[in-house]
Amino acid sequence: MSFSLPLRHSAISAARVQTSTTFICSQCRHATLLRRPKRPYTFTQLITLSDGSTFTHRTTSPAPVYRSTRDTRNSLLWNPSSSKLMNVEEDEAGRLAAFRAKFGRGWDAKTPTEEESSKTPEQMDQKAEAAARAAAEEEEDDNLLDLISSFGQEEEQPSGKKN
Amino acid sequence: MAASESSRYLARSLPRAFVPTVRPQGLCLRRNVSGQTAPADLNELESATSLASMASSDAVKSFDPIARSSQRKKQLPRSRYQFRSPKYDRGPLHPHQPPPPSDPSSRLYIPGPFSLPRVEQTYQSTVASDILTLCYVHNPPGFKPPPKAARLRSWDDSSPYHKNRPLRGPRGGDVLRLLRKPINFNNVPKLERITIHSYIKQAAQENSSWLHVAGMAVQAITNAKVETFKSKTSVATWSIVPGRDTVAVKAELRGEDMLHFFGKLVDVVLPRIKDWEGVKGSSGDSSGNITFGLEPENVALFPEIEVNYDMYPPKMIPGCHITVHTSAKTDKDARLLLSAMGIPFYGKIVN
Repeated sequence: MSFSLPLRHSAISAARVQTSTTFICSQCRHATLLRRPKRPYTFTQLITLSDGSTFTHRTTSPAPVYRSTRDTRNSLLWNPSSSKLMNVEEDEAGRLAAFRAKFGRGWDAKTPTEEESSKTPEQMDQKAEAAARAAAEEEEDDNLLDLISSFGQEEEQPSGKKN
Repeated sequence: MAASESSRYLARSLPRAFVPTVRPQGLCLRRNVSGQTAPADLNELESATSLASMASSDAVKSFDPIARSSQRKKQLPRSRYQFRSPKYDRGPLHPHQPPPPSDPSSRLYIPGPFSLPRVEQTYQSTVASDILTLCYVHNPPGFKPPPKAARLRSWDDSSPYHKNRPLRGPRGGDVLRLLRKPINFNNVPKLERITIHSYIKQAAQENSSWLHVAGMAVQAITNAKVETFKSKTSVATWSIVPGRDTVAVKAELRGEDMLHFFGKLVDVVLPRIKDWEGVKGSSGDSSGNITFGLEPENVALFPEIEVNYDMYPPKMIPGCHITVHTSAKTDKDARLLLSAMGIPFYGKIVN
């Protein structure tokens, strides 16, 4: 009997709350219009890339052929190793190369120049330097190869000791 | 005996192909009603085969279906009953239900695909196998992965109030990340959809023409109808009130449209952007969706806008955000996919 009183209180308060907020919940289902999807008219367009390769795609543009002057085939971001697209410095007298040989660092010395292909007797010492550099790079490669080939060997060695 | 006599007549009157030669006549003891046909009836059969063409030459000359159809004023009625979908969806309890959108008779049906996009061909021929190779992890036979802890932690029963509680969230934040499964031949990441979204603040500040131009521009570059959206947040400096101002335009691309858009974006538009370094390496929502933005002058580089650039007021061409949704579960895989498909990334790569 002691707890019946608070219960009744709560019931009364709940009823009051319900009466104060008139929440109308009648089901309301209108018909929804099924709209036909609108699709813009598309044409088939032939895209010609700068190196002459072509492909077709569907587009809203009515032009039948699109010729691009700048695309993935001739932009440096997509062809980072292409020497054609990099701005190669013109170094006729070899002065820039000489400066670089004297003061340049590793990353700077690797800058390709136009005169690398042409052979002159003056640049024999530079050639020798380049050869030495190439040898150093090869050594690095060898080190990397060693690193790869030695992968997983360390696990075998202790097992050999056990045997 | 009479039966065998009649069958002999039958054999004589019919062409040779119909005569059963396998079974000898004398051994046939069964009697059939069909075998007792009078030979007089068989004489009434036409001797010529009906399979040969018997059309007269004038009928052949007068047959001209193209001229007949051009003479016709009205269209012919449909030869068959055609189902017409109801115009309205009246709820699941209505007896007249519209067919599913995949049904060609549905009003929501979108036909296609009509072409095999170049991006799809590239993906199938090279990209998918490359990703599969790159993501291969070799496990020697008999290898068992170490057991992982449960993602949702259980409560230590230090308190009696822990009973019947739902499990605790992961340590260090309440976000349960997507579970990355090892990449197999059947879950190689691929493009799922591309969302192009542009927020035009001038649509609220000035007039709706900005929104119309932006909608037309986005529709032109995507081949898809755009949706407009009202702002959800209030921006006091732009005098934007939530729920009042329509400020955004979105196009969602799937399937063929998406692949065509992606192909032209990568091959034609992105290389022409001045001083563009690529997509920032930290972009992505850490569940395999990568977003990047285009400035208004970059949107103007799309061939569809370039071809009639005069149609758009030059100031009103919108910039946009492009979200590429991939089926990859982590940003690392998504970035691998996108860089294989030709989108460069720069800066610190955050996974």
